[in-house]
Amino acid sequence: MARDGGARGHGDRVRYSPVLVDHFLHPRNAGLMREPDGVGEDEYEGCGDLARFYLRVRARRAAEVRFQTYGCGPTIAAASAASELVGGRAIEDLVNLKAEEIERVLEGLPEDRKHAADVVAGALRAAALDYLRRRDADV
Amino acid sequence: MEGEQAMSRRIYLDHNASTPLHPEVLAEMLPFFSEVFGNPSSVHAFGRAAREAVDVARERIARFLAVRPDEIVFTSGGTESDNFGLKGLARARGRGHLITSRIEHHAILRTGEALEAQGFEVTYLPVDESGRVDPDDVKRALRPETIAISVMHANSEVGTVQPVAEIGAIAREHKVPFHVDAVQTFGKVPVDVDATGIDLLSFSGHKIYGPKGVAGLYVRRGTKMVAIQHGGEHERRRRAGTENVPGIVGFGKAVEVRAREMQAEAGRLSALRDRLWEGIRARVPEVRLNGHRVHRLPGTANIVFRQVESESIVLGLDLKGIAVSAGSACTSGNVEPSYVLVAMGVPIDWAMGAVRFSLGRSTTAEDIDHVIESIEPIVRRLREASPAWRATAAPAATGTV
Repeated sequence: MARDGGARGHGDRVRYSPVLVDHFLHPRNAGLMREPDGVGEDEYEGCGDLARFYLRVRARRAAEVRFQTYGCGPTIAAASAASELVGGRAIEDLVNLKAEEIERVLEGLPEDRKHAADVVAGALRAAALDYLRRRDADV
Repeated sequence: MEGEQAMSRRIYLDHNASTPLHPEVLAEMLPFFSEVFGNPSSVHAFGRAAREAVDVARERIARFLAVRPDEIVFTSGGTESDNFGLKGLARARGRGHLITSRIEHHAILRTGEALEAQGFEVTYLPVDESGRVDPDDVKRALRPETIAISVMHANSEVGTVQPVAEIGAIAREHKVPFHVDAVQTFGKVPVDVDATGIDLLSFSGHKIYGPKGVAGLYVRRGTKMVAIQHGGEHERRRRAGTENVPGIVGFGKAVEVRAREMQAEAGRLSALRDRLWEGIRARVPEVRLNGHRVHRLPGTANIVFRQVESESIVLGLDLKGIAVSAGSACTSGNVEPSYVLVAMGVPIDWAMGAVRFSLGRSTTAEDIDHVIESIEPIVRRLREASPAWRATAAPAATGTV
């Protein structure tokens, strides 16, 4: 850390798009879901950022998406953006969700924050897989 | 848009990181860029004028510390002062053992490691949960071959002030040179090198409304030191290099101003700091104030917000025009809850939510109230989105310390 023990990230505002800032300040779809059809989680080892996604599935599509997250600003923004992005998407497609797609919605992430999109994509993929496993188990 | 509105009011609460120049300091420095620009080592009139200005600054600082001018060595920053203090002592003795603490600034810790790599031994003393070193630990760590003790006067992250007088007495009794990194206390609280038994003192300009790039090391007469920067015979052959004349002039002026303002300012900042903590504690559940309750810097408050990651709080405040500093750093590949908080035994899910507020000259009560109002919705929003947070029914009844 710097002489003072201070933070990195001064000038972060310059690095974050207005879209990202908006998602950070006004996250959509944050919170628990009762009796979700699929739940998935991913964690970024490096700094403990964690994202968890809940899915309500109807006709094999994500009818409702909610998330919870612990972590830095971009991770929260990424989760919010992703929750909107994947609404209505087929579950089978969610299994292959790529971090780059989330990053595109956010109009880019700085190098040292790319893990935000990774964690969120990982959690959504896990949620989709969880739904499919449960569905197969029921059969 | 929210962000743009906030820009019209900017509140800086990161004074432990750096400070703006006092207007008198800036005015004092200006002639020394283009009018009095000579090299103080030059024999002609241009040089002599610059030399005189450096001497005046040195005298101001020496008077402030109640020491002799020739006991002040100017350096490029607190980091260099710390390096010179430890390496200068160590190399003058060739081998031996040093005692320091686990919560020192990196300039001390990395220098300690560098000395270890060169064959010296270093003991890093633990601290208690308020961040204080126990003087008895210092005594117990002493060995016949101990050549230096270095303990910071106050920690920049949590503000805890160390028992330097007791440690100084131990050092004196055992005739071991005592270095104190006073970068965060010089000009904020009184420092008495004689009463405290301090032989070497690091202090810096840009924490006290002086310029960056200039600092000092007080070296008690008779303390054997070896230079770590060689070249010309500047600073009585202790630190080569043409003097940063404008910087030194500004530094001297900053100290003179501090001498006038320090005491009243300390009282004012303590009150504002307490107002900030009380206000946050009343409105935000599950928060904790780190550091010692009595022995602490007047303007520093390190507050942990449970189950929220500090970087997201810092960003949220930044977007409202409020500047603070995080106690943890989230960057790809690196988890760093503050090593100071870890050494104090703060549990990790608290330590990751540590935010440091360091107040200063410009801080007003209105600013503090605005910060309190601003931070509550930020923390609430972040906790609502957090997986681990369980909202409490009665915010006032939670475990605040």
